[in-house]
Amino acid sequence: MQHSMKKILTFILLLTQSTVFAQNGNNTGTVKIVVQTVFDNEPLKLETKKYVNAHGDSLYIDEFRFYISGIKFSGSGAAASEKESYHLIDAGEASTQTIYMKNIPAGNYTQLNFMIGVDSTANTNGANGGDLDPVKGMYWAWNTGYIMAKLQGRSSVCKTLHHAFEFHIGGYLPPFNAARNVNLETGVLTVEAGKESVVYLKADAAEWFKDPETIDLSKMNEVNMPGKDAMKIADNYKDMFSVTRLE
Amino acid sequence: MKRIVYFFVCVFGGFLLAASFGFCPVPGDVDFVIPKGWPQPHYDFSKNKLTEAGFKLGRRLFFDPGLSRDSSTSCASCHTQFSGFTHVDHSLSHGINGLKGKRNSLTLFNLAWGTSFMWDGGVNNLEVQPLNPIENPVEMDNKLENIVAKLNQSTVYKSLFYAAFDDSLVTGQHVLKALAQFTVMLESYNSKYDKYMRHEAGGEMTRAELHGLKLFRKNCASCHTEPLFTNNGYENNGLPVDTELNDFGRIKITRLAADSLKFKVPSLRNIANSYPYMHDGRFGNLKKVLEHYTSGIVNSPTLAKQLRRKIMLSEEDKNDLIAFLQSLSDKDFLFDMRFRNYAD
Repeated sequence: MQHSMKKILTFILLLTQSTVFAQNGNNTGTVKIVVQTVFDNEPLKLETKKYVNAHGDSLYIDEFRFYISGIKFSGSGAAASEKESYHLIDAGEASTQTIYMKNIPAGNYTQLNFMIGVDSTANTNGANGGDLDPVKGMYWAWNTGYIMAKLQGRSSVCKTLHHAFEFHIGGYLPPFNAARNVNLETGVLTVEAGKESVVYLKADAAEWFKDPETIDLSKMNEVNMPGKDAMKIADNYKDMFSVTRLE
Repeated sequence: MKRIVYFFVCVFGGFLLAASFGFCPVPGDVDFVIPKGWPQPHYDFSKNKLTEAGFKLGRRLFFDPGLSRDSSTSCASCHTQFSGFTHVDHSLSHGINGLKGKRNSLTLFNLAWGTSFMWDGGVNNLEVQPLNPIENPVEMDNKLENIVAKLNQSTVYKSLFYAAFDDSLVTGQHVLKALAQFTVMLESYNSKYDKYMRHEAGGEMTRAELHGLKLFRKNCASCHTEPLFTNNGYENNGLPVDTELNDFGRIKITRLAADSLKFKVPSLRNIANSYPYMHDGRFGNLKKVLEHYTSGIVNSPTLAKQLRRKIMLSEEDKNDLIAFLQSLSDKDFLFDMRFRNYAD
């Protein structure tokens, strides 16, 4: 008797729980954002592959990392964002190139907005965790602030030690705020209840070197503090993203 | 029925016991005080709740030379308690391998009221200040990620981090938050001057000290503003540039010509204990400091406007001013047992 009672109780418990899950699933889905790093149209290969930039300098890329923050999807009548939205993407680490946004209300979205870099709150509120933890090596100690994006490599035109170039772009205080907003038309991204939709993005390192300012690596090869040069490069890379496909 | 009574006694009794030991901070240990008449602190305690475990962990880290690359140098190496947590008698801070830095180490107290840190104000939050000495090649020459990796190898530290942050995985964020829990507790508000202001026993000022206070309020207080004895600003106080160090101060951070030769206005609390003085420690005693302010000011476009007119002090005035400055030493703070090196 007691045994069957337990069974019934367990059954009721499972039933109520599954209803709760189903209710959640009823109106929200997951969006997976996959960021593919490229140089022009080729998948980016660090350290060993030679590329040519807009100025005509050949170069190797050793490190390519950047923050994406404040991700928002919007469309006619629908909008979705996440709390504490800070993601560090590292071309050298595949696991960082996928972002899951859960509990996105079902609907059709056509716009994707985010920031390259991090907002002034994150830059001023002390020791942060997760992708913002200073152990990630994207932080300036002596002049507080995040390195919003980093591109490092080598080019024979650089008259520096090991022909290295180093672009550490950051700064949150005006007039040298290097954060850049990105607005992308996604086409129609349909989010269905309990299902996963995928947005494939391309982040093109070649954009760092051109439009509006063509970078001559023999002249500009080291930027590692907030200022005019950081602003120039941020203006260059602010259009490095594009949507390649949806799934 | 009996069983039910036992059940409630155990549950609630256990809860009360846990509350008395675990949840309530031990009085005195992590009791942050806002002294009467002081402004509200700038530090955001809501993002780093002070606990006994967090404070003790921060203290342990502060005294641990293992934070430096070769395990030779701790925070306390250049910030000793009896001098107001600075490096007494050293003009420039020393680091590993006996290397010398470019600047005199600052005192550490009343940091909750600080709005920016370092001589040039490059650091905007107390929690991220330790990254500077940790990573400076002439100080601790380490990386936060190395410290985190090392602490994660230590079962002792892992349990202390668990006690402080409910997470035994050591992160950079928690190392910095723990250090801040210790440094923010370094409060100094019980000098003779404070007792005088509060009309308390021990606050009986001499005639010379009172005359010094008057002179201080007339000539110094616009920058070294009571009760913190700093206005948290940056000023050029007319020191001739050391042509070997070539340190132009805050301009390095802001890149504004108007900030050339400006340095932090340091608090003057515990000043008699924290010699030498100035950003490069060029003056070994207070007499030399007063010589500078009365007859050594070098004019330049960014010179503080208060120093553009000459400060006139007789020899007696100078002695009285120094007597007053000595009344800013706070023995309760300088010898507070909570701030000693305990390995617990």
